[in-house]
Amino acid sequence: MNAGSRKNTLTPYLWLLPSILLIGIFVVFPIVIVFRMSFSEISKSGVIGGFIGLKNYKDAVSLPAFGTVMKNTFWWVLSVVGLSTLLGFIIALVLNQEFAGRKIARSILIFPWATSLVIQASVWNYIIKYEYGSLNNVLLNLGIIKNAVNWRSSYQIEFIWECGVGIFVTIPFVAFCVLSGLQSIDESLYESAIVDGAGFWDKLFKITLPLVRPALSVSTVLNIIYVFNSFPIVYTMTKGAPANKTDTMITYLYMLSFYDRRKGPAIALSVIGFVILCICAGIYMMTVMRKEDSES
Amino acid sequence: MKTEKLLPRGRIALLVISAALALAAALMSLPLYSFTASVYTKKSANTFVGDDKYKEVRAEVEAEAKAYEEKGMAVTIDETVTERTNSKGKTTSLVAFSIQETFRKNIWSFLNGDLPSCRVLQIMLLCALLGVVCTLAGSAFCLGQVPKTLSRPKRVLRGAACVLFGLDVILTPVFILMNNHTFWRKLGLYNSELITDGKEAFFGKLDRFLFGGSLGDGIDAALKNLSADHSPLVWGLMLLFALAALGAVQIRFGAVKKTFLRVLLYVFVAAVCIVTLYPYYVMLITAFRSNAETLDMYFLNMLPTKWIWSNLTDIIRRGVPRFLANSVMVAGGATVLAMLCGIPAAFAMARMRFRGKKIFLGFVIMSQMFSPVVLLIGISQLMNILHLNDTILGLVLINAAFNQAFAIWLLRGTFVAISPEMEQAAKIDGCTTFGSLTRVLLPMAAPGIVTTLIFVFINAWNEYTISTVLISTASKRPITVGITQFSSFNMIEWQYLFAASLLATIPVVILFMAIEKHLTSGLTSGGVKG
Repeated sequence: MNAGSRKNTLTPYLWLLPSILLIGIFVVFPIVIVFRMSFSEISKSGVIGGFIGLKNYKDAVSLPAFGTVMKNTFWWVLSVVGLSTLLGFIIALVLNQEFAGRKIARSILIFPWATSLVIQASVWNYIIKYEYGSLNNVLLNLGIIKNAVNWRSSYQIEFIWECGVGIFVTIPFVAFCVLSGLQSIDESLYESAIVDGAGFWDKLFKITLPLVRPALSVSTVLNIIYVFNSFPIVYTMTKGAPANKTDTMITYLYMLSFYDRRKGPAIALSVIGFVILCICAGIYMMTVMRKEDSES
Repeated sequence: MKTEKLLPRGRIALLVISAALALAAALMSLPLYSFTASVYTKKSANTFVGDDKYKEVRAEVEAEAKAYEEKGMAVTIDETVTERTNSKGKTTSLVAFSIQETFRKNIWSFLNGDLPSCRVLQIMLLCALLGVVCTLAGSAFCLGQVPKTLSRPKRVLRGAACVLFGLDVILTPVFILMNNHTFWRKLGLYNSELITDGKEAFFGKLDRFLFGGSLGDGIDAALKNLSADHSPLVWGLMLLFALAALGAVQIRFGAVKKTFLRVLLYVFVAAVCIVTLYPYYVMLITAFRSNAETLDMYFLNMLPTKWIWSNLTDIIRRGVPRFLANSVMVAGGATVLAMLCGIPAAFAMARMRFRGKKIFLGFVIMSQMFSPVVLLIGISQLMNILHLNDTILGLVLINAAFNQAFAIWLLRGTFVAISPEMEQAAKIDGCTTFGSLTRVLLPMAAPGIVTTLIFVFINAWNEYTISTVLISTASKRPITVGITQFSSFNMIEWQYLFAASLLATIPVVILFMAIEKHLTSGLTSGGVKG
């Protein structure tokens, strides 16, 4: 393509313009607003006042629930990402086999991915109700338990349930990412490995795992970001109750900002979360870009 | 498989099958089910353990028990003591004696009852018998022959044996769980009078099964305190049938291990599917139950007792079509906008060279990471500035913007995979760049575009957090926020909540299934998630 004339140098940017405008106004601008607000005094109704330095951050860190919320967020991300990656990987390995009904199984596995998280969380909320929940009802009817079990007897257990639902809805994403990696593996690699006398574990660790690693690392980093940002599950199932003990950072900052009207510390939390995400995004970008380079 | 090994292995398999079935028959004649019912009770007030009155009553009860024993019943005496201190500080005590009859039943005795589990057992025995017949007929005089060289009927017979014994393996837990349901759950609920419908018919069946129909009207009292239990040994039945099935597999395929792995695979897949579908089953049945039934723990059926279709008309009256229309507008608008901005950008990224391409690509990947949720407060502030708060247009713009990165990423991948030769040829024929995009590239990239389109649509359709914050007028809510009106703090109308959820879920699940095939290829070119 001739890049000589002035018209031609400008053309590509014109093609990009709508997209840049859209992202610039609605993605980049809010980021600027959030950063500016975090250093300003903010009234309860959200009016932005003068510069107050790091006061909002100090307020945020000294919130009584800050430690709990950070700890919860850590466990939330670690357990959901870790377990869904493990289980999703196993399921993908199985679904990659040839068997009758594989198409149906794949279609079914996609359901949780296509369903809104609020709806999933509401259904699980009903399932584990003590008085009339579906799980108790089914287990009692089958005689597997003799008395109704209180599935949410303490906030710790409720938090574990929230993580469980998080894992449940995240598995399809990981499984399909891994599947896409698995399908690009050349069958002949396995055939020659069998000739060399490789067993199941050899094939798994020496062929499959290294070859799906790019797909797996992309899905893991993306997952960290999505799970960190996940709001509806915790909000629908416990609303962070009791006393923010089951809150993650995102639900907590929502509560702070829109219920307690404490926008100052909430916005500081926003920025802290944003910085954490940026670090993850940076790592992700480097992996993807390296992949791009090695491909081209 | 070497041929000379087939015959001895086949013999061992036949031996395993017969031994397993013989053991199963023996297990079934053991008295594994025990029932305890109280036949006589006596309460004595103001009685302390060990005093004169206690001894007197105790003797009376023992005499009664002896009378029962003489009738040939195995009885035990049970006593419970209730002590209470009244307001004057005086302690009173009440002793209750009961004579309990324990009787045991083996599994064979379930054969001629008319409980639901009895029918299962009849089918199981039929399967086992047919299985034996098929095994023998299929392997007579040809046990050592390689299965592939057998005549078709023989192979079918051997295969049928595998299926029949396999059925037994599946039906054993069904039988056990059905018994649990009858004796623990259903009887318990009737006795505590939590349910009453169909009591007479049910008690009549139990009377015929437990007492041979001899009790008649006395059945209520007899069943009042009936408790049933089974030994865990009944599960051994499953193991034995599994052994028989393995034997049949060896005879049919000549290789147990491979088939066994296959079966494990199916069991795993079935378990995953069941767990995945369970919430949807709950959603479906709850959506068609009455409000009273959704709050009823003593619900015995797997489906609603009566399908309440009026739940659907109720939610229509309560604004759900409005919410769905809003969702269509938000998701549709966001999709159109994201594609209108994304296609040219992706085209430029795929086909043109320019400075800063790498930076823009990095920027695109980076912005894919920024969930609107963490920027919630900033976005609501921005919407205030633009006067777009509480408008559907605002939601459209935000959804389009936050899906932009992913749309460009995916579309670029699709465009790069298509060779530019056709477009160049079109250009030589006098086509503009725009013309070559719309007339040549876009039709060829249709599958990728449809995938991207549906993905953006679903993301916007399922979006919840931003809508909660931005929309305050009830009539402008999308469906994900709209359904929360059915769950207020102190009362949740589950049937409406799930009926509306069902309407919101079905279209997107179908759309998603349509692009499932392209999903795996799309995912490699970039990360995507709903």
